Amino acid sequence: MPAFLLIVITLVAFYLAYRFYSRYLAEKVYRLDPNFVTPANELRDGVDFVPTHKHVLLGHHFTSVAGAAPIVGPAIAVYWGWLPALTWVVLGTIFAAGVHDFGSIVVSARNRGQNIGTLSGKVVSARASTLFLLIIFFLLTLVNAVFGVVMAILFEANPGAVIPALIVIPIAVFIGQWAYRMGRSIIIPSIIGLLLLYIAIPIGQAYPIYVDGLAEAVGLSVRTTWIILIFAYTWIASRLPVWVLLQPRDYINGQQLIVALVVIFLGVLVGWDTVAAPAVNEVAPNSPHWFPYLFITVACGAISGFHSLVASGTTSKQLDKEPEARFVGYGGALGEGALALAAILACTAGLGAAGDWNAAYADFGAASGGALGHFVNGTGHFLSNLGIPATLGATFAAVVVITFAGTTMDTGVRLQRYILQEISELAGIKALAGRVNVLTTLAVLIPLGLALVPGGDSAGGKGFAFGRLWTLFGTTNQLTAGLALSIIGVWLLARNRNPLAALIPLVFLLFMTTWALILNLGDFFAKGDWLLLVMDAAIFVLAAWLAVEAFTAFNRERTNPSAATADR
Amino acid sequence: MSPTSLPAHARRRPWAGVRSHQAILVREQDSQHSGSGCCGRLGECHTELGKAADFSHSRARMEQVGEIYRALAEAAPDLDLVVADPRNFVWLYPAIWRAARNNGLGVGATLRSMARAGAPIAVVVDGETLFSGRLPESRTVVNAVLDRVALRFDA
Repeated sequence: MPAFLLIVITLVAFYLAYRFYSRYLAEKVYRLDPNFVTPANELRDGVDFVPTHKHVLLGHHFTSVAGAAPIVGPAIAVYWGWLPALTWVVLGTIFAAGVHDFGSIVVSARNRGQNIGTLSGKVVSARASTLFLLIIFFLLTLVNAVFGVVMAILFEANPGAVIPALIVIPIAVFIGQWAYRMGRSIIIPSIIGLLLLYIAIPIGQAYPIYVDGLAEAVGLSVRTTWIILIFAYTWIASRLPVWVLLQPRDYINGQQLIVALVVIFLGVLVGWDTVAAPAVNEVAPNSPHWFPYLFITVACGAISGFHSLVASGTTSKQLDKEPEARFVGYGGALGEGALALAAILACTAGLGAAGDWNAAYADFGAASGGALGHFVNGTGHFLSNLGIPATLGATFAAVVVITFAGTTMDTGVRLQRYILQEISELAGIKALAGRVNVLTTLAVLIPLGLALVPGGDSAGGKGFAFGRLWTLFGTTNQLTAGLALSIIGVWLLARNRNPLAALIPLVFLLFMTTWALILNLGDFFAKGDWLLLVMDAAIFVLAAWLAVEAFTAFNRERTNPSAATADR
Repeated sequence: MSPTSLPAHARRRPWAGVRSHQAILVREQDSQHSGSGCCGRLGECHTELGKAADFSHSRARMEQVGEIYRALAEAAPDLDLVVADPRNFVWLYPAIWRAARNNGLGVGATLRSMARAGAPIAVVVDGETLFSGRLPESRTVVNAVLDRVALRFDA
């Protein structure tokens, strides 16, 4: 099947979903009111509450929700075949992510722009706020662990990407000084920085950086050495003021996102490649079954709980007219789905003939451990359709993912530090509360431990550990989404509206998540992966807790609608 | 800022009822955008997590732009006021290009305006970047915007 056809089918499905389902949600479920005075207008201050054109707002919203995660999940999930992966991305985007992102904006806007954390306490129960914090804690731990491994995998497999990835740091630091200290425009230096980065790609290829010698000297594997180096870098990066590295790199990242999306889709259109992967793959024995693992392997790209933080954190405060929540929220979800589609295409149509694909996805270990490599090589192939050598293209794709993952870890470790600080304050551990270096070290060591979990480097680096870590990350992301869907569902029920649009994806996600967690428990126990077992058990408790909270809240609103959920 | 401190032609609001003038106030949101949004959104006082003021410099710019925004909204309610993040590439630069070209700016001037607008803080009126990088006192900015709009209207 031509890859182009998959693009057409997906985009047609997205168009129809936007045209009909999102309209149904807008008119019948959320009942958007053009006369409703949104918080942006009611509390208009030009700072946080700013009525904003819907196209501007979509740009802000999409840039905030797009990251590396919608690439990794689909790149693993095509192991079960392109059909299950694409079906979940399309249906998840339409019936889960769209409802979730759109609804999060609406409910927040109807509650004066309150965020999901506050709303969980107000709409679901007071305990739900604590639940929210705990879910976020585990989510961040796993985010930092998986992205540390992601970067290590890419550096090991693409030593040519090391120099370009390193070059970004001084470029970003220079741009930061130029813009934030000297008060100059940032866009031209960031475009020049991007060009320098691209110039560094062939240089990096000519001078690949290996850490084999260092690894041998310290008696560790290459991947483990990379993981430790990456976490050491993250410790330093997360202690820097954000304007030094994080913020200026954001400009380069934003430009890279646009360039990457354009060249991938353009490469597919020009090359007219065919999908080499089977529609449904006959997986190796002892592989995780697609049901339920597919639904937690692809979180971002099908539904991601983190979007509710963006939707309620800033987007709802800038919504000019309530009906525009449909365009921004549902439209943003479709954009994320398109990103996941790009990853699926790269890993199914960009890897060459069927034989090459079968070798790349021989078993789940190869699929998960090599997922990023497959995406990178597939993108390299698409770029070769545009006349760019495939190896250069692959390094380009590796650099895109590495810079995104580096930014994710930088922000993730900072966030984790805040949470640890709040937990230590709550626990009355004053000695810890103010010690930023100690807190940062803890925020780094916890995910580092997970990234180096025994077995993680087994089978020549292609063991199951990354895939298992990734699915654990998926479960926590889905739980965050589940919490947001609970809020939306209870909010709908309190208004005597049909809550099924939120309830069905909520029940589906909770069922898939808990089922996968139970399967994982048995698997981790059998293999003696005690750290992952403890992690899994803790997340399972959170899932059960969420189910109880959601059920109780739904039951309460069904029998006795409370004033607690009242808004305007 | 009270309306009485505005230039006389601005107080007359000659463009009243005409929504063809646009002022874009460019400033960064006090949060991280691309590359982390999906999995690592930083918290600040107005989001979910964290009390640390990592983005205090961006916050200060947001506050300054807020002051300008409120003054302009009061003085010129018909002015199309937009607050945009400079990292919103897909919307911001085409919008400036369109506005600048529609208002008669040459290609070179338009490109210069776009380059200057891509700053952590900037003020753009009808496609022309009036301030970039650092802003003078808010009153000066507001008067400059109103002057420019009135000038264009008169022209």
